[in-house]
Amino acid sequence: MIEVSETIAHHILDHDFGVMVGTLHLPLTVHTVTMFCISVVLLGVGMLMARRGKSVFSRLMSTIGEEYVGFMRDGIVVPGMGQEGRPFLSYFCTLFLFILFSNLAGLIPEVKTITSNIAVTGALALCSGVLIVYCGIKFHGVVGFIKTFVPGGTPWWLVPLIFPLEVISLIIRVCVLAIRLFANMLSGHMVLLSLLLIIFIIGQMSKIAGTGAAIPAMGLEIFMTCLELLVAFLQAYVFTLLTSIYAGLVIHSH
Amino acid sequence: MKLGPFAAQDFAAISTLGLEFAVAVALGTAGGYWADVHYQSAPWGTVIGVLAGFALGMYIVVRQAQRMSAAHPTEKTK
Repeated sequence: MIEVSETIAHHILDHDFGVMVGTLHLPLTVHTVTMFCISVVLLGVGMLMARRGKSVFSRLMSTIGEEYVGFMRDGIVVPGMGQEGRPFLSYFCTLFLFILFSNLAGLIPEVKTITSNIAVTGALALCSGVLIVYCGIKFHGVVGFIKTFVPGGTPWWLVPLIFPLEVISLIIRVCVLAIRLFANMLSGHMVLLSLLLIIFIIGQMSKIAGTGAAIPAMGLEIFMTCLELLVAFLQAYVFTLLTSIYAGLVIHSH
Repeated sequence: MKLGPFAAQDFAAISTLGLEFAVAVALGTAGGYWADVHYQSAPWGTVIGVLAGFALGMYIVVRQAQRMSAAHPTEKTK
């Protein structure tokens, strides 16, 4: 008998096979190992893009790298943050590629999607939150940044009400970054698993009906996998774009 | 009345508004519920939390609308 919830949880949730070093427990989980592998792959890809060789492959990689950085600069950073965002281009390039590779890794069999873990997306959103606050302090100073939380033209007696609202709004924006990526990736993989499980659940009732259900279920599975591929790119793009917009709002708050 | 033209940035900002509103209400509800549990004030903490969250959500939506109106003035507002 298939336990649907257990099967889905087993494939989606993280598993801790932590090691003990003396009395210290190192929480080594499937997600942390996957994240480490993705980081190593990204480092390799980055090095290949940065290398200036004469072979066709080297030139191809450096051209892809240049196009990618150009797209990030002209499509995300400058429209969102203006020319002031140029020093932060490297952060956005890293962020986009990391999220994209993490999302795509989940489509490889036996590899878990690390972005379906709220701790991972929360950490990424926290990095973006730190960047937003840093931009505010860098371009306005500490006092100026605090002043940006009060919109121009606000009557003085409304300031004690508006100030906390604006601060909470900023915190909510950062939370929303984490929740959106997490929810999209988690739900996508749950749908994929659920579609597969339909075959086995119906197959338990009747083998012929299970075989019949396999055809539409696999068709839907292929469609959803293609959709997941689109979502992987889209969510990486949206996360990066929103970070640049929020940072731009802080920079151009006057 | 002609609206726009809108850029990808505008669409991203609009698409995030619903979630921001939901998170604001959820945050207010959670805060109110926490107050009810700790100060035995049920159901007033949750009621006030939900209303405060709703007000915060509305504030976020209106502020975003103001920003977009300022960035893309229509024929009426020019």
